Amino acid sequence: MRARFPGRLPGGSGRHLAAALTGLGLGLLAIGPGLAPGFVLSYDMVFVPDPAFTRLTFGLTGTVPRHVPSDVFVTALGSVLPADVGQKLVLLAIFVMACASAASLVPSDRTVPRLAAGVCYAWNPFVAERLLLGQWALLLGYAALPWVVGAAARTGERGGGRRLLLRLLPAAIGGFAALAVSGTAALVVAVLSGRALAERVRAGARVAGALALLSLPWLVPGLLRPGGVPEDGAGVEAFAARADTPFGTLGSLLMLGGVWNGETVPRGYGTPVMAALWLAVVVVALAAHWRWVREPGQVAAAGAGFSVAALGAVAAPVLAGLIGLWAGFAVFRDGQQFVAPLAVVVAVGLGAAADRAMDARLPVVAAGAVLVPVLLLPTLAWGAAGDLRAVRYPDAWTRARQIVAADEAPGDVLVLPWAAYRGYPWNHDRRVLEPLPRFLHHRRVIMNDAVRVGGTTVAPEDPRAVRIEKAAPLTAVTLREEGVRFVVVDATAEVPGARVPGTAPEGLVEVLRSRDLALYRVEGPVTAYDDRVPVVPVVLAWIVVSVGILWLIVAPRTTL
Amino acid sequence: MRIALSALVGCILAAGASFGAVQLTNASQKDPVIKPLYNYGSR
Repeated sequence: MRARFPGRLPGGSGRHLAAALTGLGLGLLAIGPGLAPGFVLSYDMVFVPDPAFTRLTFGLTGTVPRHVPSDVFVTALGSVLPADVGQKLVLLAIFVMACASAASLVPSDRTVPRLAAGVCYAWNPFVAERLLLGQWALLLGYAALPWVVGAAARTGERGGGRRLLLRLLPAAIGGFAALAVSGTAALVVAVLSGRALAERVRAGARVAGALALLSLPWLVPGLLRPGGVPEDGAGVEAFAARADTPFGTLGSLLMLGGVWNGETVPRGYGTPVMAALWLAVVVVALAAHWRWVREPGQVAAAGAGFSVAALGAVAAPVLAGLIGLWAGFAVFRDGQQFVAPLAVVVAVGLGAAADRAMDARLPVVAAGAVLVPVLLLPTLAWGAAGDLRAVRYPDAWTRARQIVAADEAPGDVLVLPWAAYRGYPWNHDRRVLEPLPRFLHHRRVIMNDAVRVGGTTVAPEDPRAVRIEKAAPLTAVTLREEGVRFVVVDATAEVPGARVPGTAPEGLVEVLRSRDLALYRVEGPVTAYDDRVPVVPVVLAWIVVSVGILWLIVAPRTTL
Repeated sequence: MRIALSALVGCILAAGASFGAVQLTNASQKDPVIKPLYNYGSR
């Protein structure tokens, strides 16, 4: 091993460039057909053409602001670039950052071991499953996590708080879940990095301060929303980690897989031979980390993350009880996302193993360490075997947007059928979160935000959706009373078990009908609803965050 | 030089293996998410 850089980013822009370019290559390979003109729409990944800043963008409509501030970032990007180009840049940036950041943590100045770590971190079951699940915002935080871990180990130094806060920015853009994952890891690493108790407390306080500042954009609207913080514990078992390999849930988590959704596992992953080979790689990497890297902070963060990831699977009643005590614990419901710090340890460990192979004059073994993640997970390539493809929104959607925008009467838009996710024929039947709330940005869009996982339904969180359900069966009169001006029907099939019928009620005026979408207008004056989040506190939160970040950027000698 | 050659050959092999595996799985499996349309997913 040539050199050690405990917790530091080694110098030499060439090495960073090699890792970044490798990440770019991996991104191009993974996104594949998704790079064509159009949008990749998969589960939670929703991008729309010509996004606009609206109340929804900032979490002011009363829905749970999980999309804040990632939607703000996307909208800002969409104001300077075509939105589909912006989406591709974001997806590629995830791979570039992941590869470069993991490479920077390897205690070696050789390129091959650093690339081994970078490739492993950017190309593994965690990335594949979360990408298929459309959770680009979470992956944005994941991509920068090694930088966060490196900076957290030096939080106690002069300027350490500032450095950490800047490296937390991708996770902050990702929002609630991304910041929870990165923040937990940073806290553990920072506290363990200090020598004396006072030093540890100070480092922990700095991390907590940074997290509090960066959380304000979603924390303030989340706390002020009329429905409060939702506390439905029904999803604990639905979102718990599950086995996607023959090695059980815990084994699958150790291998960086185990996502709750059985349909977002890359094709062919989990077959006994491939899974056994990947498990062997993970075990070797963990052993190498333990033997040659020796960063207790990284190990502790990985251990803590693994425990949280396993909680919903091995102790679901405990997690349900915690959520009952305080709704904020719901962040641990989809626990698998917390194995991200373990991915850091596995990647850095694999890099260290490759470095030792170079020491032993076994360059082929070292090169093999670079390639093995791709070879053992080939179906992440080419848009995850064709699942991530770029599509264009139908013309009827654009026409509906124009009609809704041109109408001057007040009122909201109701979306039917009554379900949150759709499998549009024009999106190759791949499921996606209903895009209309973002697409029809001129008005508040009401949809059923209840999530159905298999036979489990997690209750709706939007107060307007709850009211609509209570008002069913819908008529033109009830729609007027509920403040609805337009009804959009963008699929034909009924939703099994839905309380609200999937077709528009009698008495509405059909203003657009096409194969892809039908738009109806509710005639007459509608009741006005004001269930929105107060604007002033949210604006203040954004000012505080913006000024705080700007101040830290322009005042490099400032300590947090 | 040997490392660079190994990496290059490996990249070509990896790309070939990826492409082949994708073609094989595409030919042998149906998209598991076609139905039902309205679920977030199933375990």
